[in-house]
Amino acid sequence: MSANSAVEPGRAVRERISPPTRAPKKRLPPKIAGRSMVGLVWAGPALVAYAVFVVYPFTQTVRYSLYDWDGFGSARFVGIENYRRVLTDPQLAGSIGHAFVLIVFFTVIPVGVGLLCAAALSRVDRGPVGGLARAVLIVPQILPLVGAAIAWTWAYSSEGAINQLLRAVGLGGLARPWLADFDLALPAVGLIGTWVSLGFCTVLLLSGVGRIDKSLFEAARLDGAGHFRELTTVLIPGVRREITVCVTVTVIAALASFDIVYVSTGGGPGTETMVPGVEIYRLTFLSQQVGQASALGVALTVLVLAVVLPLQWLGRER
Amino acid sequence: MSGPLRILVSTPDVPLYEALAEEFEAEHPDADVTIDSEDFSTLITNAPRILSTSNPPDLIKLASFGNLVKDEMIIGLDGYADAYGWDDWPQSQFLSARVAADGQTRGTGSLYAVGPGFGLTGVYYNKSLAGEIGMTDPPESVSEFEDLLDRAREKGLLPVMVNGKDGGTAFLLQNLQMGHAGTSEPMQAWTFNQPGADIDTEPTVRAAADLQAWGADGYLPDDVNSIDQSAAPIRFEEGEGVFFPSGNWHAPGLDESSGAFGFFLFPPMEEGGPYSAMTAGSNLAISARSEHPHEAAAFLDFVQTDATARELTVRLGGLIPAGPESAPMPTTERGSAVSDTVAAFQHLVASDGLVDFMANATASIQVSTIVPSIQSLLGGQITPEELASQLEDGYERELGR
Repeated sequence: MSANSAVEPGRAVRERISPPTRAPKKRLPPKIAGRSMVGLVWAGPALVAYAVFVVYPFTQTVRYSLYDWDGFGSARFVGIENYRRVLTDPQLAGSIGHAFVLIVFFTVIPVGVGLLCAAALSRVDRGPVGGLARAVLIVPQILPLVGAAIAWTWAYSSEGAINQLLRAVGLGGLARPWLADFDLALPAVGLIGTWVSLGFCTVLLLSGVGRIDKSLFEAARLDGAGHFRELTTVLIPGVRREITVCVTVTVIAALASFDIVYVSTGGGPGTETMVPGVEIYRLTFLSQQVGQASALGVALTVLVLAVVLPLQWLGRER
Repeated sequence: MSGPLRILVSTPDVPLYEALAEEFEAEHPDADVTIDSEDFSTLITNAPRILSTSNPPDLIKLASFGNLVKDEMIIGLDGYADAYGWDDWPQSQFLSARVAADGQTRGTGSLYAVGPGFGLTGVYYNKSLAGEIGMTDPPESVSEFEDLLDRAREKGLLPVMVNGKDGGTAFLLQNLQMGHAGTSEPMQAWTFNQPGADIDTEPTVRAAADLQAWGADGYLPDDVNSIDQSAAPIRFEEGEGVFFPSGNWHAPGLDESSGAFGFFLFPPMEEGGPYSAMTAGSNLAISARSEHPHEAAAFLDFVQTDATARELTVRLGGLIPAGPESAPMPTTERGSAVSDTVAAFQHLVASDGLVDFMANATASIQVSTIVPSIQSLLGGQITPEELASQLEDGYERELGR
């Protein structure tokens, strides 16, 4: 959702800006000025909702982050102390590091594999096979994350499906309680994210592939391009916008992850899978350190913007 | 009285409290009590928000006080304790619900919550598996217990089923710590946030070393760190594990497989040493905004003293009533896990062996420090010395010391 709103306004603004560049510079023609007034009226309700439910709470969060406050009693102004702790406390800083590792599993793998799936599926007619494949891929996206995470917790347990499978194929030596393993818990949690993101990325990329002019593929084939060359010269440039959306949405999901981690490991073993989302929850509801939680929340927002804005810029069509 | 007396408890408590409310209404025909519930963790995390609404419940179940006393969201009960004569009862039952004037130190000061009964930790055993390893009586020392664990492992049985994902392993650590210390006093002072209390000590290091060795020796499940409190009792009931350290709240459930499981207190380090166990009251506090504080207090007195109420507390709540020394102890079925827990509790009340949970030392020490540190200890990521210092550091950080 948030990614769409981050992408769509940009496009809308570009489309609106283009006519005035051709118009005289000093004054807007009355027709266009009127149109932007009308636009403002139409956007008004959404802007009000955005201001009340997003902008105002965010300014409050920034304010809380400067105080030592339990959420109810008296608050003490501490300046940037809470931010200093976000950067220096190993547990808080470590949680941010884990979120970046999750980008590999939430974004890099799903977008990569999703491209291959989209390329393969685009060759299959929209018959029963293609339809079934699409349905299977999109299922993880429509399941509630909490339910999915619980199911994965069972699959990862000592006697769970994954270890049974490993034993069945003679790889019993690799079987282990995945979510309790200090080295493998984070990748194991990440793979749940991969499973969730893959269907979303594939379906979105597939719709992009459908928009590519068929003659481009034909031309590439006539020039003797193989599958790989077709992928790199026609398909990937053709779905550049979809890739940007996929990357934006999944990067935000990785950096702001909560449900999957909270349900599957709660941040453990030790603090191996602790992420900022779970840490904010703990600080707010268990430690009642609302100020500290707010500071981590603001830091997380800045971080997400710092990662996503360059992605938007890179993904622009030139 | 205007409007009903409203009581907010956690969902599993509802059958008990509805029965208690019915009894109370039968005794006091003009009383009207309604019971509402929230899922336990929602209730615990939202208690301050619930109490700060304009129309909060009159009585609310609490697991810890957090800042509720400091922020004046619940009322002190000293006046009622005096009026109803609670002051004349054995006082150790009220200790953990007393908060000093600083709003933080517990174990001293005014009383803020009381309730129908207490939880109690110990060790469940699977009677048939215990028979297989030749256990006739509960162990009387930790080394006897370790012998049993060793025999279980040699028979190819899992010695101990325990939930390490959410802190069942902390029961073992705390019991071993109190065993090595030979007294529960330093631990109690620490959980009560008394000035100068420190847990980074030799007994803690030795307890951590024992626990780490138990893991390394195969006494604990391979996946201990990913077993949670809902999975552990199910797996234990299915026959995985000879022993299961946990609390009496599981006793009614385990008794459904009629008499297959028993319960004993975690043994002292040396035979003949003092027994100690963790306990926590299923406590209710009165909201500062309650319009019926006197009725609420009357209900609190009723659940502690009425014979039927005490019987309901054991049967429906799996909790053990304390109350006045002269109060009748409800009868329980012989040979059941529930009767074992009631007997153990009476023994401990008499010997002052009841202590609070380490987990209650601060609002979030369990999730932010105790669980991750024990997981790291069992995973071999940290040494026993590091565990002891991490516990103390986490504690001081949260208390702002």
